Amino acid sequence: MNQPTSETFDQNARAALLDPQLRGALRNLAHTFGERRKVAITTVDDWEGLRERARAIKDETLAHLDKYLVDFADNAARAGAQIHWARDGAEACALVIRLLHERQATQVVKSKSMATEEIHLNKALEAAGLAPVETDLGEWIIQLADETPSHIVVPAIHKSKRQIAELFAEKIGIEPTDDVAVLTGAARRILRQRFVEAEAGISGVNFGVAETGTFLILENEGNARLTTSLPKMHIALMGIEKIIPRLVDLDVFLKLLPRSGTGQRLTSYQSLITGVKRSPEDEGPEEVHIILMDNGRSAMLGHPVTRQSLACIRCGACLNACPVYQQIGGHAYGSVYPGPIGAVITPQLIGIGKAAQLPYASSLCGACREVCPVKIDIPELLLHLRAEVAEGTARGTAEQTRPVKHKLVEHLIFRLYAFAWSRPMLYEWGARLLRVLQRPVVRDGRIGKASSVMAKLAPPLGAWTAWRDARPFAPRTFREQWRDGLADKK
Amino acid sequence: MNDREEKLSAHGQNDEVRRDILAAIRRHLTASAPFDAVRAEHHAQESGAHAPLAPVAVTHAPVAAPIARFHEALAAVGGHCVVVSDDRAAAETVQQLIEQKQAQRIAVSDAPLVQKVCAQIKSDALVFAQTEPPALFDCDIGITSAQWAVAETGTLVLESDCERHRLSSLVPPVHVAIIEAAQVRQTLGEVLHAINEQGPGGLSRTVTFITGPSRTSDIELTLAIGVHGPGELYVIIIAGEGHD
Repeated sequence: MNQPTSETFDQNARAALLDPQLRGALRNLAHTFGERRKVAITTVDDWEGLRERARAIKDETLAHLDKYLVDFADNAARAGAQIHWARDGAEACALVIRLLHERQATQVVKSKSMATEEIHLNKALEAAGLAPVETDLGEWIIQLADETPSHIVVPAIHKSKRQIAELFAEKIGIEPTDDVAVLTGAARRILRQRFVEAEAGISGVNFGVAETGTFLILENEGNARLTTSLPKMHIALMGIEKIIPRLVDLDVFLKLLPRSGTGQRLTSYQSLITGVKRSPEDEGPEEVHIILMDNGRSAMLGHPVTRQSLACIRCGACLNACPVYQQIGGHAYGSVYPGPIGAVITPQLIGIGKAAQLPYASSLCGACREVCPVKIDIPELLLHLRAEVAEGTARGTAEQTRPVKHKLVEHLIFRLYAFAWSRPMLYEWGARLLRVLQRPVVRDGRIGKASSVMAKLAPPLGAWTAWRDARPFAPRTFREQWRDGLADKK
Repeated sequence: MNDREEKLSAHGQNDEVRRDILAAIRRHLTASAPFDAVRAEHHAQESGAHAPLAPVAVTHAPVAAPIARFHEALAAVGGHCVVVSDDRAAAETVQQLIEQKQAQRIAVSDAPLVQKVCAQIKSDALVFAQTEPPALFDCDIGITSAQWAVAETGTLVLESDCERHRLSSLVPPVHVAIIEAAQVRQTLGEVLHAINEQGPGGLSRTVTFITGPSRTSDIELTLAIGVHGPGELYVIIIAGEGHD
């Protein structure tokens, strides 16, 4: 496996742009999920009101996260769940390994969880000889291919049917086929066997209800229900931001999440799990463990702008709506969280120095803010992080990688510009001088690719005209025209 | 260190980590306070008074016959709804399904309604009442009831304290649910409130919401049915005499 990292975003994106199959898949994604979402949000009375409400609930929870988190942990423990705390990913991985060892469980199944992807749990478990089997179809596909997810909701969106058929032919020995139902049937057959053998199941969590200690898992396939019902042990990994105060608040979030993510009114299954079974004869695991993980989340509480990141319910709507994601896909971001929300979460999780390009991976068009079901102002967050990158560059603490290095040149140019701008004589003579100097690069009234001299002569300026023409300076400036009587013509 | 000591020390460490995380949360929230104040002032200027957090309103939408609404919503997600007049008719419907699917083995939940209906079925199929894997994996049909149904979304709500439903509604390729008309509510919000009113401790260990058959779009966003859970879902509603 050789997945790109966030540090090389610029190159990753360029490579992705040259992949026609990927771009076809992304067009399909944007169109299909975009249209389905548009229809789905008309099936509730007051979509805007719901979004407001959801955000208010999240804001309230985050402002008192210590209280709600303790309520959740206490109530879940009272119902028989075992609560564990992890400051970071390494601690969370170590906890999972210890729990599996204590139970002497080696056959492990897993349902889809972004939190486990975030901490690279599978790699840690493999290293401990406890390789888990991913059971969500998309996650299983990318596990077979030894890749990482490229979308929060549909992790294998970058792969074509043909590629998946070839992968299945190679790894599980079925005849290559174009029939999605046959591919899906093969997955069902093989994964059923894994479920029968499984001694432990690992899942993520979509919501944790403070008032009852209940946690929720949303899904369409049924693999999360199997993962949490069949094995004798269930371990749920939960980011500390997943808390909501009350059970009835679910009404709001269950209306928003499926509609935003896949355009469904409701996903096929929701499991609400509160503690462990009451008696040995009951169905379900004998042990339920909940790992409450910080991993950089508490630091996001430190400013109202960054705190918004913790309101995210991982629906993926901002990815589907983003004109940048639609062109380059998820892997270019070099993070398990791609797209607009990934561009703001990743630098906060792994450090701004390692992901300094991500806050710039946006045209600030605001499409992400428009579709976000919890009204996260992602452009505001991007600007906040850009400011951090700029300050880091000035202090020399951020890594000097492209395009951050360019920012230094940019900085110089703007200083020069400001100097000239604030001195009228210099400004006027400067404009006249440039009018003369521009002559060699103007072709047909434009400075553009056609002239191409620009690119050869002055590389930083050449970048401007690489993809679009620039307008030349006018033969006479506004000030000259004004002096010559423009004012009197009025 | 023996096992017991190891567990105790793990426990001590867990407490320490818990304290650390809660302290970090409080520290960062405190550090944020001055910025929060500026933002609050900004918002107040922009949008007038900040609306207080109101409780969720339960919408009692225009009551279009809930059963018809449920029928339509379930059909929209690929499920089937059959409305019958009494449990004898329900038994006949189940029997037809068993014959149609040529089912040999049937897993049933322990719900009284399921017992009552199944007692009236004449079939050679083997019935498993307390199924466990691996026998469960050979069953062709799973029959359960449900404690609630939601008309708006075509959803079944099953509570583990009322019924052993987790595996029988999930593992066999066909799921048949038998409910009474009185269990149908208009919205999910109503059901959540009803569950909530059972109070702490009254909440079942597992509550499962089921809306249609198992589905996936993970391959080129092409819909495939029955990837892990049942590929077919039938809901039989016993509506009593004079149902529509």
